[in-house]
Amino acid sequence: MAATGKVLVVIGLFLLPVLTYGDTCLAPHVKSQTYSTPEAIVSTETVLIVEFTVTCKNGLKNINLYADIGGRTLPATKTSEANKYQISITDEHKKLPSGSYNLRIFDEEGFAALRKAQRSGESTDSLKPLFTITMSHPGIWSGPMVQSEFVAAMSAIVVWWLAYTARSKLLA
Amino acid sequence: MAGGKQNKLSREEELLLQDFSRNVSTKSSALFYGNALIVSAIPMWLFWRIHQMDLYQSAIIFIIGTIVSTYFVAMAYRNVKFILKHKIALKREDAVAKEMMKKLADDKRMTKKEKDERVLWKKNEVADYEATTFSIFYNNSLYLVLLIVASFYILKNFNPVLNYGCSVASAAGLLALFSTSSKA
Repeated sequence: MAATGKVLVVIGLFLLPVLTYGDTCLAPHVKSQTYSTPEAIVSTETVLIVEFTVTCKNGLKNINLYADIGGRTLPATKTSEANKYQISITDEHKKLPSGSYNLRIFDEEGFAALRKAQRSGESTDSLKPLFTITMSHPGIWSGPMVQSEFVAAMSAIVVWWLAYTARSKLLA
Repeated sequence: MAGGKQNKLSREEELLLQDFSRNVSTKSSALFYGNALIVSAIPMWLFWRIHQMDLYQSAIIFIIGTIVSTYFVAMAYRNVKFILKHKIALKREDAVAKEMMKKLADDKRMTKKEKDERVLWKKNEVADYEATTFSIFYNNSLYLVLLIVASFYILKNFNPVLNYGCSVASAAGLLALFSTSSKA
């Protein structure tokens, strides 16, 4: 009996990784779409939005995902569609300059490790995320260099100046 | 007047008076008011299309602003024309006299007095025409400068109705004020 119990424990130990793997998304296939604020005239802040669909090889659904973008962590929002997530970041224009952003996506387990590393002040670079999404932000357009009313005012002043000099010549 | 007892003015004197009077002929008055109206109507477009004022809702303030502005702009036209006319007459005097004399040289029957009269009349006409057109041009350009600077820069943060009222009033008022100064 004791031997049977030992065998069961051993089998259980062998099965454990398989069982835990049940919570981990295996070989995730990611399809993502990104959006970033294109101009600063009507927007006070820059927003980066990433929308992605994850398909796991092991058919895992509705897992909680977290993102880490350059040190800031935030949960990915689940959308009404299954396995579709959304992450959005807003900040001042200056704090989100143009360039490419690496979004490291973690699952619960990875996120716990990430938090632990952050708490202890260790580097989080060595942590392996579930997957990484790279988005490029082409930068914001802050409007034309010269405002149109400035052009209007300047041309009006130039015409008036011509008139004024002509008048001075006549009155001289 | 010349002679004292003489009530009827000579033709020369009439011309001279016309030359120095502030009164403008009906034709040039119509030209002034027509132009002033067009220029005063321009802010309406600016505030309608650029400052997003409703054309029908603010029709009353637009009409009042345009009428008041027309009056002041026409006044400025008259004042500037009056100042310019004498200066232009002096400047163009020789050229006009030369041209008229050349034209009238063949006419032997005409007396010297008559010729002088013709020259004076022509001089008046040339100066009047140049002063009128130049006055319109000068005042229009100044009006637009004042309007644009006032509406886009000075009164930028006012609400459009107040902006319209203040910028049109100040542009027209300042234009009329500047026109009264005799100095360049």
